[in-house]
Amino acid sequence: MNQTNLQCPLLNRTRRHFFHECGVGIGSMALSALANPNSAKAERQSKAFTQPAAPPRGHFPAKAKSVIYLFMAGGPSQLELFDYKPELQKMSGKPIPDSFTAGKRFAFMDTFSKEKPKLLGTQRKFKQHGKSGAFVSELLPEFAKIVDEVAILKTVATDVFNHAPAKLFANTGSQQFGRPSMGSWVTYGLGSESHNLPGFVVLQSGPRGPRGGAVNWGSGFLPTAYQGVPLRSAGEPILNLANPKTISKAQQQRAVDAVAVLNHQRMVATGDQEIATRVAAYEMAFRMQTSAPDLIDFSSESAQTLALYGVEPGKPSFANQCLLARRMVERGVRFVQLYHSEWDHHGGPGISLNKDLEVTCRDIDRPMTALIYDLKARGLLDETLVVWGGEFGRTPMGEIRENTGRNHHIDTSTMWMAGGGIKPGIVHGKTDEFGFGPIEDRVHMHDIQATILNQLGLEHTRLTYRFQGRDFRLTDVEGQVISKILA
Amino acid sequence: MVGISLVLALPFFAPAAFPEVVQATQKVNYTKEIKPLLAQKCVSCHGEERPRGGLRLDTAANGLKGGKSGSAIVAKKAADSPLIIAIHGEGSIARMPLKRPPLKPEEIALLTRWIEEGALAPRDEVPTRLNQTHWAFLPPVRPPVPSLPTKGVHPIDAFIVDRLHKEGFSPSPGADKATLIRRVKLDLVGLPPTPAEVANFLEDNQPDAYERLVNGFLASPHFGERWARPWLDAARYADSNGYSIDAPRSIWSYRDWVIKSLNRDQPYDQFLVEQLAGDMLANATMDQKVATGFHRNTQINQEGGIDQEQFRIDSVYDRVATTSTVVLGLTIGCAQCHDHKYDPVSQREYFRLFAFLNNVDEPTLEFASDKDFAAREKVRDEIIDYHKKLNAKHPEIVTQMKDWESILSPVFKVDQPPEIKDSFDRAVDKRTENQIRLLTELFLKDSKDPNYIAHLKALNAKRKREPKFDTTLVVTEREKPRTTYIHINGDFTRKGEEVSPGVPAVLPRLTARNPMKPDRLDFAKWLVDPANPLTARVAVNRLWQSYFGRGLVETENDFGTQGTPPSHPELLDWLATELVAKQWSLKALHREIVLSSTYKQASQTRDDLDRVDSGNRLLGRQSRIRLEAELIRDNALAVSGLLTPTIGGPSVFPHQPPGVMELGQMKRPWKVSTGPDRFRRGLYTFFWRATPFPAMLAFDAPNSFQTCTKRNRSNTPIQALTLLNDASFLECAQALSQRAEKEGGTTDLARIDFLFKATLGRKATPTENQTLVELLRAERNDSQTGLTHREKDAWLAIARVLLNTDEFITRE
Repeated sequence: MNQTNLQCPLLNRTRRHFFHECGVGIGSMALSALANPNSAKAERQSKAFTQPAAPPRGHFPAKAKSVIYLFMAGGPSQLELFDYKPELQKMSGKPIPDSFTAGKRFAFMDTFSKEKPKLLGTQRKFKQHGKSGAFVSELLPEFAKIVDEVAILKTVATDVFNHAPAKLFANTGSQQFGRPSMGSWVTYGLGSESHNLPGFVVLQSGPRGPRGGAVNWGSGFLPTAYQGVPLRSAGEPILNLANPKTISKAQQQRAVDAVAVLNHQRMVATGDQEIATRVAAYEMAFRMQTSAPDLIDFSSESAQTLALYGVEPGKPSFANQCLLARRMVERGVRFVQLYHSEWDHHGGPGISLNKDLEVTCRDIDRPMTALIYDLKARGLLDETLVVWGGEFGRTPMGEIRENTGRNHHIDTSTMWMAGGGIKPGIVHGKTDEFGFGPIEDRVHMHDIQATILNQLGLEHTRLTYRFQGRDFRLTDVEGQVISKILA
Repeated sequence: MVGISLVLALPFFAPAAFPEVVQATQKVNYTKEIKPLLAQKCVSCHGEERPRGGLRLDTAANGLKGGKSGSAIVAKKAADSPLIIAIHGEGSIARMPLKRPPLKPEEIALLTRWIEEGALAPRDEVPTRLNQTHWAFLPPVRPPVPSLPTKGVHPIDAFIVDRLHKEGFSPSPGADKATLIRRVKLDLVGLPPTPAEVANFLEDNQPDAYERLVNGFLASPHFGERWARPWLDAARYADSNGYSIDAPRSIWSYRDWVIKSLNRDQPYDQFLVEQLAGDMLANATMDQKVATGFHRNTQINQEGGIDQEQFRIDSVYDRVATTSTVVLGLTIGCAQCHDHKYDPVSQREYFRLFAFLNNVDEPTLEFASDKDFAAREKVRDEIIDYHKKLNAKHPEIVTQMKDWESILSPVFKVDQPPEIKDSFDRAVDKRTENQIRLLTELFLKDSKDPNYIAHLKALNAKRKREPKFDTTLVVTEREKPRTTYIHINGDFTRKGEEVSPGVPAVLPRLTARNPMKPDRLDFAKWLVDPANPLTARVAVNRLWQSYFGRGLVETENDFGTQGTPPSHPELLDWLATELVAKQWSLKALHREIVLSSTYKQASQTRDDLDRVDSGNRLLGRQSRIRLEAELIRDNALAVSGLLTPTIGGPSVFPHQPPGVMELGQMKRPWKVSTGPDRFRRGLYTFFWRATPFPAMLAFDAPNSFQTCTKRNRSNTPIQALTLLNDASFLECAQALSQRAEKEGGTTDLARIDFLFKATLGRKATPTENQTLVELLRAERNDSQTGLTHREKDAWLAIARVLLNTDEFITRE
């Protein structure tokens, strides 16, 4: 059916021209093979093949266009940063009352079995800040200045207490491997506004990558075009990004064009729509070759901006990643996720609540604050939802290893959100006197996911994908939009 | 298949697609259709033990009787039955099953119909005990092969076609011969057919031409290389220790053992027994000991300050999980912390399995002849001798060393080779003679005293003469068994009840050589006993998955109650019983599959079929399957003529982009192999767990941290960048274009034809030819290219394009 399209002389045309005039066949191919070409879902699924990054419409008007998700890998201690508990101070060193722990499970039960867990008061000083009067500890002095820009959520619960499954849970709504991640769902639902960068980009900083690795940004059973693309912080931002030295840009372009034509011809012959995804992948790869170096080139940033974030050119850091994140949302990237480690402060060597926590907080305090300032100054904060949080919280009980620390805790953790239609300057939810669990406005990880989708104009119960006979969604069978934090 | 209805066996069909299946005119069969559904979805909470709300759904009568809040089922009144209201999630009752995925619409419809028809059930119904009647726990029974109108149909085809006919479809025609030879060679040896092989096959019109081809490929020594890789995925093979330190290890002999075993078609039962307990076989050979490396592919944590027992136990956990996933297709690992939620495996049973594997030492095995060992002893004696003389001459060394050691920094100590590091960790009087000698030599070196340095040099000269032997990691059984306890919540510090080795009650009994002391060898033999309902099914299902992209049981690692039921249960059992009947010959099974018409079908999509069977589960056609990461490399090397076909040996270091090794906590070396080792097949690439080879990772090679029985097949811009820009692939394109200039004739069309056949095993279509001719013209007209390089560059462009086509990296 595409014979006439194939006759067009390819090589004296630009690639864009080629795809507009000759590439239409791909779309009709994909469509004709779908079960129900009239349904919206079929259309979206066909878009996955033809325009994996084209922006379709959401379910309702969106508040936010993009998301920057600052993922604090390891589970930051809310009790050292946000959740001020004078009662915990008073009771420090005393065993936690049984009423709190009966029937509960924790990671690293070994430390619990040796002796009964004792409450641990924080050594950090807290003060109230801003008009909202939110408590922030001395560890985040910069962030304390912008509490009136953010909504702090103090009661975020999750289901799983080990790192890799808990990260999967936060990212995919399930602790099972093989489910699509949030960024994949979002780009599946909305596409990307960027034609030359991936719609979903992953950045990493800190001593190590997040446990669980690439499954955290995998596309699961969604088309693979929606998986997150990691951007490296040293060397080439993406391995093999540059042409081989002997290949000129024009040569590369001709090669990519010819590959597209041959692939297209093969798709007509075999009917395999996966080839359309491959064509799209080559398209994107070629565009990334120009746009990615441009993206990471900070020379157009003022010295003032670099100083605001604390960027030291050439040195990989969370500050770099925050600036990159802003540059990406400027360029239409839909979902940027920054993983920063290490927040797993159990008290062992390198993970104490003393010096080690201070170092990690210093890593992030200025850059994340700068990100909010900078987005606001550029008028981007309204349309960018910034989310900060880890995979779980930490216990009010101490853990005695070589040093002081706290264990993983699923009952509550603190997260914050800013921009993108979130009510600024509020504190949502209350925990009990020890900060063990929520007593008011409990929020679950699935609610966070539902809310993020909501701000993007997506109804979380309607953003589904049929797989193995069932309509799957990011929030599984749970999740409620946290309406109290919406502006 | 036992206990599963047609509807349940077809969960992938939307009801709209097959109304005739759902709206059958027959009455619902309670035993076949309803009881298994209730067993799977309800009985874990509403069973005999502590039924929630007092409601039991383990018999129909119990459902009618109901619980604390009355009847759950009201016969003939589905709309009034709380059961139906609950599964709809309407009204005041919480949606059931609580916190679990809802029932599928067709399942709800079935239950509704059953109630409307009167909720009939046999009077003498036996209460459902959780999951004991699950199909996978019952032994496969060889089913009759369906009879088809056509005679002489391959049994595999009989099952597939019978089912297709029932659904109103017929199979696809066979693939054309060029596609077929490329398909079967890629599948059996992982390499593309040469143009000569293709030409011969196209000309061979004998009826057995294909069969001869298959026999040849099965006999190829490269068969073992291709099929070792999925097994190495399952075995979580890697060349480094993992965790944060990720030191290198030497265990390639195990990899080579797998290749050799598959090449000589070692029966699958022996293949498993040797890997799990080869060391315990009578007069175990060197090979049988090497095979036990299977369970040495666990990670080793070499961080300072850790509790070794914790990580030893973790490695046994991993061995239990790997064994049960790979051999039994069960998620037994779930029972590590608590009784399995869905399958009948208690935590106690988990630790009884654990006990079989808890009793090993983990030595390093050296490969050498007795003569070699004797030669080494001689040199070692000389070294000992020298040390004795040195001590006699300089008795002051002992005190000097004490002072020296007392001021050493911890970093210095940790940085030493393992043997020296270990001696630092020991009390002085606990050190071995050899350790003392090694420490002395370190002291001599550190002393900077010229006199001592001279002695060190003499010693080093001797050490240089000391023969080094290849090593590999193995397990051996401890003479004094460890006691195994249940670890409460899987926590290694919390010991509960003591348990003895044993197997789950849901599976057949184990017969031990010594009934008082069942051991690892008994366990291995129990796994491969034909009475075991899972081992053969799981094995054949994984092979099927490789050939069709998806197993007959789609959840190849979960045959339990939460897994997907088989799409073709009879075929699965036929294959499983066939494997056992053929004395567990894997090659026989490979042969059966690739000789079937089902396998040989064209892979072109079909509008009629794909509309209702988009996942191609009915197998009314073949599927295009993207090649595995290693095979993409192998194919590029093969078609460019660069491939070094050497089989086995230490892992190698082909080119990789700079900056990869910086990503690990410890910066590990990557010294690019030179000479032939630069061009070895992908499975020989050194695999660092912390910093895996990027081209492998980009194409979904597993991370080797835990067992992997099915790879993803992603399709990303990163893959495009790898094939376009990675220096290894450019090198292949260059070599390929040179071949075209040398061997491809003189005209443009002849060379294009040569390149097409070399890379894709077929002739180009006129439009494909045109595309490449135009590209060639454009390259030649490129003003930036100097005259001298013009031809070279033009052909390089064509070669690059072909290596980047989707077809090149796809088995069609």
